Amino acid sequence: MTLEPYLEFAKKAFAREATYRLEVFTEIGSLIVRVYLLRSVWTALYSQNIAPMNLPLHSMITYATVALLMSLILEVDGTRLIREKIREGTIATDLMKPISVPAYFFSDGFGQTGLHALLVIPSILFALLLVHIDVPSAPVFAAFLLSFAIGYLLNFFVNFVMNSIAFWTLETFAIQLIVRWVSDLLSGQIIPLTFFPGIFGRIVFALPFAAIYSTPLLIYVGVIQPHDYARYFLVQVLWLALFSALSLAMWRAAARRVVIQGG
Amino acid sequence: MPPIIRTHDLRKTFRSPKRRPGVAGALRTLFSREYEDKVAVRDVTMELEPGELVGYIGPNGAGKSTTIKMLTGILVPTSGTIEVAGLVPSDRRNENARNIGVVFGQRSQLYWDLPLVESFELLRAIYSVPKDRYRANLQGFIEMLEMEPFLRTPVRQLSLGQRMRGDFAAAMLHNPRIVYLDEPTIGLDVVAKEAIREFVRHINQERGTTIILTTHDLADVERLCRRIILIDKGTIIYDGTVEHIKEQYGTHRTLVLTLTEPHPNPILEGAEIESNDRGLVRYRFDRRRARPDQLIREATQRYELRDVSIEEPDLESIIRRIYVEGYTQEPVNS
Ligand SMILES: Nc1ncnc2c1ncn2[C@@H]1O[C@H](COP(=O)(O)OP(=O)(O)OP(=O)(O)O)[C@@H](O)[C@H]1O
Ligand SMILES: [Mg+2]
Repeated sequence: MTLEPYLEFAKKAFAREATYRLEVFTEIGSLIVRVYLLRSVWTALYSQNIAPMNLPLHSMITYATVALLMSLILEVDGTRLIREKIREGTIATDLMKPISVPAYFFSDGFGQTGLHALLVIPSILFALLLVHIDVPSAPVFAAFLLSFAIGYLLNFFVNFVMNSIAFWTLETFAIQLIVRWVSDLLSGQIIPLTFFPGIFGRIVFALPFAAIYSTPLLIYVGVIQPHDYARYFLVQVLWLALFSALSLAMWRAAARRVVIQGG
Repeated sequence: MPPIIRTHDLRKTFRSPKRRPGVAGALRTLFSREYEDKVAVRDVTMELEPGELVGYIGPNGAGKSTTIKMLTGILVPTSGTIEVAGLVPSDRRNENARNIGVVFGQRSQLYWDLPLVESFELLRAIYSVPKDRYRANLQGFIEMLEMEPFLRTPVRQLSLGQRMRGDFAAAMLHNPRIVYLDEPTIGLDVVAKEAIREFVRHINQERGTTIILTTHDLADVERLCRRIILIDKGTIIYDGTVEHIKEQYGTHRTLVLTLTEPHPNPILEGAEIESNDRGLVRYRFDRRRARPDQLIREATQRYELRDVSIEEPDLESIIRRIYVEGYTQEPVNS
């Protein structure tokens, strides 16, 4: 398997995203507004003495801002293509090419991510006008990046599984929406999972969503200590293995369905 | 040379849940395990030599697209065998994909959001076409299909005719040995059709590409194909030359006379008046029983003529008759 087609898919996806200029600028604008709102909300909450796990306010604001920056990248859903292609019946055209179709989806998503990753830089600059962001030490930051990278892959496969459901029930919008709400809440993107009390907190931490946002973020703000890194990475990798296996199995079943029933 | 495409007793049965009408029916459909089987392709056996250009013809729903999908490898046969350039397409989908080019008139393989030329670049990468060959091919295609004016237009904004030209170029960029064309001229104007036909002929003759062409426009077939395969209800009913079927079915000719003076009943021995409209008379005759030169001589003796012509039956009227009456070895002439 040569990499060339996949690099080309990524390049084209990058270029395609760049043509949606208005959307790109709206995205930065909306991010700045949300940074501002979150700062106000958390400042107000902290003045009422609601501090999760004794996280100081500046860490909390760092957490919320970094979470928003991460969402620039993680909210790109390359596998949305699957749903569109099934609806339009064009998946057969891709199956007729000498490529791995899941790898094509991944490259396309990766290319889109590339453009959105560029947005992170101006977004940080604007955000810094509004809030102070803590900067961790180099090793902690490296651990954060690694954890984020695993989370990125996991996010891709979770989306892949969700969108592949479309092979069986054409309409997956409702499922998508529910999963989206649940994952926004339970991934730690909006509130740190340390907020969830007792047994509930344990469950939330055990779900795959935590491995997408919560783990890298808690590493960033220092709630997860270096001696616990290995354990958290392992959990992330296990989820990644599980969901990539699930994706592959679903893809195989879906492709078989297409070749037997004709789409 | 051995055949490049070979199918034997190829069959495809589609299975779908039995549907019942009404709301109660819909609920029962949801829970029932009853299925309906539909045989789309029934025991199709064919062989194509390298370099052949064959018309694959049949009425709507005959099973043409289903056959082509099986040849591309995206549909698995229910039974029977296929071999394309020595490969079983559905087992070796990727390798087979490198040997073939496909154009579906109803469906584009171009990338919707990208300018046309960028779709070509992507395809170059997908098929690992060497850069110099890619440039030479592309240059040739741009000239032949006159694509220069819309090369940088996003595919989404192309007219149907422009998009089809793009699709043809896209299918041939990697020099496939075999090309499947499924209704490639559908919805095109006469000029675009002509350009496409010329392109198909060029690819077939200059490159020796084997081509299967499916179309409802029999002018495509008459212009391009020597051999046709007729399929109806999933079964092949004729496989042979266009010439042969014309000879078989085209036993009748039409003699058209323009008389200087209208005549109420301008009979000719051995020909039957089909219509008589103010001196423009059409006669039908069996070329095995009457000779055209004799008919014309007779006509000039009896009437004063301004113009004479003889019309051959076209493929379209023959095929129409076969669709309606079915194919028989010895058609009875009515
Ligand atoms: N995926 C499918 N599921 C069930 N039935 C199908 C499917 N695809 C095709 N069929 C049926 O199989 C038969 C052959 O269809 P096919 O598309 O091969 O016809 P065709 O010769 O290409 O017709 P047309 O000239 O209209 O394109 C039709 O009766 C069609 O309804
Ligand atoms: Mg068809």
